[in-house]
Amino acid sequence: MSTISDEILSVKDISKAFPGVKALDNVSFSVRRGTVHGLVGENGAGKSTLMKILSGVYPKDSGTIIFDGKKIESTTPIKSMNSGLAIIYQELNLVNSLSVGENVFLGRFSQMGGMRGIHSKARVLLDSIDCRIDTHRLVDELSVSEKQMVEIAKALSFESKLIIMDEPSSSLTCDEMKELAKIIRQLKGQGISIIYISHKLDEIFDFCDIVTIMRDGQIIDTKATAELTRGEMISDMVGRTIENEYPERPQNVGETLMEVKSINTRKLHNISFEVRKGEILGLVGLVGAGRTEIVRAIFGADKARGHEIKLDGKTVIIRKPIQAINAGLGFVSEDRKLQGLVLPFSVEQNISMGNLDKVAKHGVLRRAAEKEIADKYVRALNIKTPTIKTKVQSLSGGNQQKCIIGRWLETGPRVFIMDEPTRGIDVGAKYEIYMLMKEIAEKEGAIILISSELPEVLNMSNRVLTIFEGRITGEFDPQMVSADQVMESALGLCSLEVHERAQEI
Amino acid sequence: MRKKFELRKTFGSFFTNYLVLVAIVLLVLVTMIVEPKFLSSGNLTNIMRQFGPLSMVALGMTFVIIGGFIDLSVAGTFSLVAVVTVSLIDPIGQVPALIAGLLLGALCGFFNSVLILTAGALTQAEALFITFGMSLVYGAFALITTGGAVLNMRDITSSISVFEGIGQGTVGIFTVSFLIFLVCLILLYFFQSKTVMGRAINLTGGNKTAARLAGIPVDVSIMVIYTLSGLMAALGAVNQFARVTTAAPVMGKGFETNAILAVVVGGTSLKGGKGSVLRTVLGTLLIILMSNCLNLLGVTPYMQNVTKGGILVLAIWLDNRKPL
Amino acid sequence: MNVKSFGITLGKFASKQKALVAILAMLVMMLFFPTNFYTSYNLIDMLNSSSVLMILAFGVTITVISGGCDLSIGGVMVMSGIIAIKLMEFMNMWIAIVIAVIFGAVIGFINGFLVVHQKTEPFIITLGMGMTLTGLAQHLTDARPVTGSDPNFMMISNGRIILSFTNLVIIMLVVLLITHVIMRYTQFGRSCYAIGGDYDVARYSGINVILIKWGAFVICGITAAIAGVLLSSKLNSGSSIYGETTALVVNCAVVVGGVSFAGGVGGIFQAALGLLVFGVLENSMNMLGVDSYIQILTKGIVIVAIIWLDSFSRKRKRERV
Repeated sequence: MSTISDEILSVKDISKAFPGVKALDNVSFSVRRGTVHGLVGENGAGKSTLMKILSGVYPKDSGTIIFDGKKIESTTPIKSMNSGLAIIYQELNLVNSLSVGENVFLGRFSQMGGMRGIHSKARVLLDSIDCRIDTHRLVDELSVSEKQMVEIAKALSFESKLIIMDEPSSSLTCDEMKELAKIIRQLKGQGISIIYISHKLDEIFDFCDIVTIMRDGQIIDTKATAELTRGEMISDMVGRTIENEYPERPQNVGETLMEVKSINTRKLHNISFEVRKGEILGLVGLVGAGRTEIVRAIFGADKARGHEIKLDGKTVIIRKPIQAINAGLGFVSEDRKLQGLVLPFSVEQNISMGNLDKVAKHGVLRRAAEKEIADKYVRALNIKTPTIKTKVQSLSGGNQQKCIIGRWLETGPRVFIMDEPTRGIDVGAKYEIYMLMKEIAEKEGAIILISSELPEVLNMSNRVLTIFEGRITGEFDPQMVSADQVMESALGLCSLEVHERAQEI
Repeated sequence: MRKKFELRKTFGSFFTNYLVLVAIVLLVLVTMIVEPKFLSSGNLTNIMRQFGPLSMVALGMTFVIIGGFIDLSVAGTFSLVAVVTVSLIDPIGQVPALIAGLLLGALCGFFNSVLILTAGALTQAEALFITFGMSLVYGAFALITTGGAVLNMRDITSSISVFEGIGQGTVGIFTVSFLIFLVCLILLYFFQSKTVMGRAINLTGGNKTAARLAGIPVDVSIMVIYTLSGLMAALGAVNQFARVTTAAPVMGKGFETNAILAVVVGGTSLKGGKGSVLRTVLGTLLIILMSNCLNLLGVTPYMQNVTKGGILVLAIWLDNRKPL
Repeated sequence: MNVKSFGITLGKFASKQKALVAILAMLVMMLFFPTNFYTSYNLIDMLNSSSVLMILAFGVTITVISGGCDLSIGGVMVMSGIIAIKLMEFMNMWIAIVIAVIFGAVIGFINGFLVVHQKTEPFIITLGMGMTLTGLAQHLTDARPVTGSDPNFMMISNGRIILSFTNLVIIMLVVLLITHVIMRYTQFGRSCYAIGGDYDVARYSGINVILIKWGAFVICGITAAIAGVLLSSKLNSGSSIYGETTALVVNCAVVVGGVSFAGGVGGIFQAALGLLVFGVLENSMNMLGVDSYIQILTKGIVIVAIIWLDSFSRKRKRERV
């Protein structure tokens, strides 16, 4: 048993509820000094809520937090940083229009001796993690990996004793991952503790000494990684057998419905593939690998030149979304709040906006027709809303997503692109969406599914393409291969190397 | 917590929805009591006549703002259309000149949208400065056309019957210009609330990105709002010079600010996505009535500006606070 | 570096410094015409004519960089000038001036309250404030200029203490230096950039976003008041004429110079360059005897051209294939 002074962080019985959902339910765990402590759990398990409470973004409802021997009652992000607890978010907390140096010392300009002081001190910090970025460069110009280094330098500038890294590797290339591994090793050597949140189980086993598994707002287990097997970890995370979670895959996959040839953009290289009638085609890859870029290019949402798209053997010209829609494509984008919905507008209007030609005659809107369509989908998709006139911003994430899906279903797409369709949605609603997807595929359409949840994409898809650094690196039948094999292809062939390097920690 | 906020917002918007109406009613009542001349047919006619030009410009501006943009060039378009139309009466006749003027206004607006679209301008600020620059350009053309002189219609041509009809004519108790306004209002209300393009404009203002991905013709919407704005500015100009039978190359000055204020005070948010021409009518009415009533009450023109500005700041403050 | 890569670097520099390029182009162009452009008298006069607007611009730049917007500066300017001139009749000139500047600070405070605390849309609320102040100025002067009573007052702007530069130009340069130092080298200034760049990130970093953004409005009010006093000094009269159009012109010039209305980008020097574009343009066109209406036309075209190019280059960057 470890003594209390061994612990840099001790969390007891933390609870936190948001309207309608209990995010954390009496969570307790502790982190020993100088360790890399992994934190795993599915989306919605509560990891990010817990971290936001620790870093002072949210207040806790109840429970105690003891950090570095001191009890923390209420804190703010800056107080938290000052006391030695740093967090590096997945979305990165930097001001793009300012330089690296200024970002590292944001808010502490005069303390650090003005411009000169800031840049020289930032230089020292960056050098300590072997990072050669010029501190005068604007953050806007940096890659995700470089931005992470800036965040790490920022954490170091507060003489942090505990650094929380939230999904640090989701956008990194192979080489960048090796860099990060080296830095983590270094930080550990300096006595800094790290909480490492990731859904990449390989990394957990490679980097972490101990791992805590969360599920549905509760801590399931905390164990040394050496004493845990992958299977045990997965079943702790999931808590139930996977089979019941997903419907049967669509059965009658037919001939080619859509052909995509030679998409080439700044990020994508020679993307060509086909989509077959009645199938769900999954695209697997890291964040930033290019999956969304591929579908946006197909849909005409981004500029791309020189590629060809054929539907039913006939070439179609798609340079704008409206052309894609007319050709029979549908697109549920990954960011429903910014790109999918018009938040201050009603459920009815959000559903009808994709179908204005259907609810209008000679350019004049027919309110009855609009209401009819909205009612139809509220019923069919079980959208929970007081009325169809309610503003969508007051609906839950799942119901918002259903509104968007309802909008697209009405357009009757033959190829339905869904980018992270179940992100941030509770389990019950997820299953409903899965059933919908199956139905669409079975009606002789096809679905291109992008999802960062490997179990989801593997269980739903008939076929999976792995994307890595803008290229298609593999094609698999999920029923014939293991998740590991697919992941390896999505990570490029480097996963083995990273694994080996990590063993040296 | 959330319920309290929603209640306050509903009460707030009820209040501010009718704030303008309340203000108008109060203003009218006070003036009626202090200066009964307010209700004289001469004064009411005056109000109707002044209402015409500003209401046209403001109606056009409404759509630009609903679409999430702004148009500062209407002053220039206004002046340019006025002088060009008047100049063309002699050469090509009244009605052709009128049509040419309206087309010119639409063209000016359309050109604005071309500039904005080709530049890939996505924000209201970019549109603000581009249309500001174009205001100078159109205004300069107006000045160049007349050499700075004011064109007196009667001096230039003998045939001004059509315009006289528009400017001075009456049908029953209503002025012709008021009837024109009514027709425009009905058409535009129908356009805004019942047509696909009207809805498209709303959606463009609500969330441009989402609208584009859903297949809404965002670019076309932008062209429509600016072309319409130019056309309405032209109509306003015709309304104005028909009334005073002179066309000055700077006569548009101030219309852009007043139009924006009329729209905003009426209750349409500068953020775009929602709003109504009906609200703009109320806003325009308030602005016109303020001038009229304060005049009758003996307030100097300058104090009028002070009062106007002060009331506007108040109205905007109460109505446009971002959700807490 | 060979010719081609030099050309590319030059092209990149030019596209980032449009205002500077425009100014240089005009300066070069004026070399080819036989005018008095390149006399020290004219060059100083050119600076002198732009100085009041420049001072306005420096203040408003701080507000814009912190993510705000202030269209009341015209109204503040004329009101402070009138206050100074009128109060001078029965009190010490310097006290009158101080009161005028305090007036500017108060208006800035009110603007800050409405925008930062009450979260009103800055564009329209400061526009309304500007209208009110201009109206008030017109009322107080009956729209006629009011002459100053203290003979020393004129000397504040028009005296020439250093070489043959007018005091106004010197004061403008001082204000330029001070605001530049504030924005570049003080915590307040850097916080303005952070707030304009990303409000939430700035807030999480412990920056007191409300206080600083509010403060930016106050500073803007103060500089507008200073500009107003100096303008009145220059003309030796308080006039309400410049109240209406000034705000938009100055904001536009600042954007032309490279200060982004989105916030977080740009600087005092860029604001100065933006105004210089119009200062040099006006002066050279006058020298060349260009018709005043063509001058307006040119000004409009320059504004549209530079902003169009700016937006277009951002569009190209977004869509790089």
